[in-house]
Amino acid sequence: MGAFVALAGVTVLPFVELRPNRLVPGNAYSVAAAGPWAYLLWLLVAVGFLSAVAPTARARAASSTASGYGLVIALAWGLGAASTALLVDQTAVARVSLGSGVWVLLAGTAILGFSGGEERRRKLLRWAGPLVLVAGAVIAAFVWGGLDRISLAREFSVRASSFWSLLGGHLAMSGAGLGFGLLLGVPLGLWATRNRHVRAVTLGVTGVIQTVPSLALLGLLIAPLAALGVAVPLLRDLGVRGIGAAPGLIALTLYALLPIVRNTYVGLAEVEPAVIDAGRGMGMSSWQLLWRVEFPLALPLIVEGVRTAAVLLIGITTLTVFAGARNLGILIFEGLGQFAPDLILLGALPVIALAVIADVALSALGRAFTPEGVRA
Amino acid sequence: MIRLEDITRRYGDETAVDSLSLEIAEGEVCVLIGPSGCGKTTTLRMINRLIEPTSGHIFVDDRDILSLPAEELRRGLGYVIQSIGLFPHLTVAGNICVVPRLLGWEKSRMVDRVDELLKLVGLDPNAYRDKYPRQLSGGEAQRVGVARALAADPPVLLMDEPFGAVDPLNRERLQSEFARIQRELKKTVIFVTHDIDEAIRLADKIAIMRDGKLQQFDTPEEVLNHPANKFVHDFVGADRALKRLVRVRVEDVMRSPATVLDGADLLTLQVGAGRRRFAYVVEPDGRLIGWVDTLGLDEGSVPEAALTRVVPADASVRPDDSLRDALSRMLGLGFRSIAVTDRNDVLLGEVTFAAVEDAMTEGDEHISNLPPEGAA
Ligand SMILES: Nc1ncnc2c1ncn2[C@@H]1O[C@H](COP(=O)(O)OP(=O)(O)O)[C@@H](O)[C@H]1O
Ligand SMILES: [Mg+2]
Repeated sequence: MGAFVALAGVTVLPFVELRPNRLVPGNAYSVAAAGPWAYLLWLLVAVGFLSAVAPTARARAASSTASGYGLVIALAWGLGAASTALLVDQTAVARVSLGSGVWVLLAGTAILGFSGGEERRRKLLRWAGPLVLVAGAVIAAFVWGGLDRISLAREFSVRASSFWSLLGGHLAMSGAGLGFGLLLGVPLGLWATRNRHVRAVTLGVTGVIQTVPSLALLGLLIAPLAALGVAVPLLRDLGVRGIGAAPGLIALTLYALLPIVRNTYVGLAEVEPAVIDAGRGMGMSSWQLLWRVEFPLALPLIVEGVRTAAVLLIGITTLTVFAGARNLGILIFEGLGQFAPDLILLGALPVIALAVIADVALSALGRAFTPEGVRA
Repeated sequence: MIRLEDITRRYGDETAVDSLSLEIAEGEVCVLIGPSGCGKTTTLRMINRLIEPTSGHIFVDDRDILSLPAEELRRGLGYVIQSIGLFPHLTVAGNICVVPRLLGWEKSRMVDRVDELLKLVGLDPNAYRDKYPRQLSGGEAQRVGVARALAADPPVLLMDEPFGAVDPLNRERLQSEFARIQRELKKTVIFVTHDIDEAIRLADKIAIMRDGKLQQFDTPEEVLNHPANKFVHDFVGADRALKRLVRVRVEDVMRSPATVLDGADLLTLQVGAGRRRFAYVVEPDGRLIGWVDTLGLDEGSVPEAALTRVVPADASVRPDDSLRDALSRMLGLGFRSIAVTDRNDVLLGEVTFAAVEDAMTEGDEHISNLPPEGAA
């Protein structure tokens, strides 16, 4: 499966595109532009096919893993070689962009890499070795292999300083939204388990918020916040203005609430009544019951809610630039405005990476927080 | 030890418990029994203040239970419920130590206590202390539930249908183990059940309830022989004679048996059998191997043909089994008497059918002039 996708990536689809400058379209080139690296890419795809036909499970796992990791390295160096070759007698503003074949190849690579064995995914240490190797090889391709000549890298080098601050802004914004969401959501979820009316209101309201389109929510927040900032100068000095971080942060907090409140509520409500009865009957106070019994049992679900919220917020954070926040969304929307696809990618790729990292990390945290006695 | 004075509990218009007064002496097992919904659980939960009475007073050791904080009261009253309510995220040891931990015991003391209690309830500490509740069978979990309630050595145990959820075979085993533990520990126990056999077997006093009202509060013998009204009479059932057997233990009526050593001379047999027709054949160490019919035998050693070999575990009862167990064994095997052996199959005595008959008719009176229904 992965090998077929990778094969499509290195055959029928364009590998790179040479354009006179960063904004206009150009000519597509096949993988042959990568010179000798093209042969290695072909060879690795062939190894990927072995994973479907190899006789033993071990051999299948080994070949799919080897081809997965190998393809990433060969791709990095192949792209570097192709851009070096294509840019030889071009003007300084000419650009080499990634063709659709590269994305398809990467997708196939991901499938190959992940199908290499279920148990490998669990063991972080076994991952670490190959990952460091691959990362090292890709960085080497930037330094010595000409990968820094492709358009995406050029967009980055132009904006290197602002890129890092935008990335930081993105993390801060999503993180703060998530933090406030937790600070508000967990107590609300807890309160909902203790009071029928609170349950109806909180679950209803957070559900409605979730259905309001993000941009509309931001727009709705700008006017009242602006008015509030004007009316109360102290608040304005604290950053409560119609434009800036405040409306975005409030919107993000509101979006984080639903998964966190809902999962906290469900997690606590699902604790068996008999367990609570036994705890009370043995003389636990409400607090002891909450800390020693209810929260430990609900924690995996709460973390799951935080994971959902985190992935959601990292994406929605890009939209807060419309209310004046500064984060990776700026790159995306500037890129859209200028029709500069590589600039869009420079903003979008890190957002995707952040979301994936948050997803994996919080899944692992959820597993770590699952008490041994209740693990499936 | 425990005194309920005119306790009433209402739910809206419904009266769950109606002017109930009970007095339970120290070291006594009081069984609360009655049809479903008659107020047993409500009564029990008022004693540890999980439910507050609408009116009336409850005293434990002559102290009004309202005079100390509910949590403190509960830590001194062991509590076992039908659904057990073991904490799924804690090991067996962790579950047992809940109350000791609330009381701030030293770690080493808790470790010792866990082993001591697991042995007491018949579980091997090394095999069970680190297991999680989901790894236990129903009977094992219920044993851990009892061990947990006993952890801090409370003088009082409150048990709400503790063996209601286990299969009949395991229930009988748990009942006899409970009886053994109670003989050893002499707790003051309030035991809720709807199973009259269980009540007769375990109770020192039985309190029969109906629609929140006490119908009769007496020893099992009195309840069997002199039911206070038609309701109690019907509730006890027509097989009162059989039920009486549950109250008598084998060791109380067994007599010494005629025995002969395996391979011994018939002359010895005649002496050993004391002119009885049947004699038990034992190994030199006293272990039962079978019985012999002496009719028509008069000289030489016991011929193999006259010897009936038995599997001791199947053809004998234990000293602390009830006479009803002995009777059902006899009927099952078609014998007029049954051997009594200890754990190691060593012959201790025998119980005859005549002895069972005596016990069955003892204290039997015709119940003619029953008071009208409803009067207590
Ligand atoms: N929380 C409650 N609200 C209303 N009625 C209740 C409640 N708890 C118990 N009851 C009623 O009180 C009566 C006695 O209940 P319970 O003590 O649980 O009976 P038992 O344990 O003997 O089966 C029942 O009729 C039951 O419906
Ligand atoms: Mg009940």
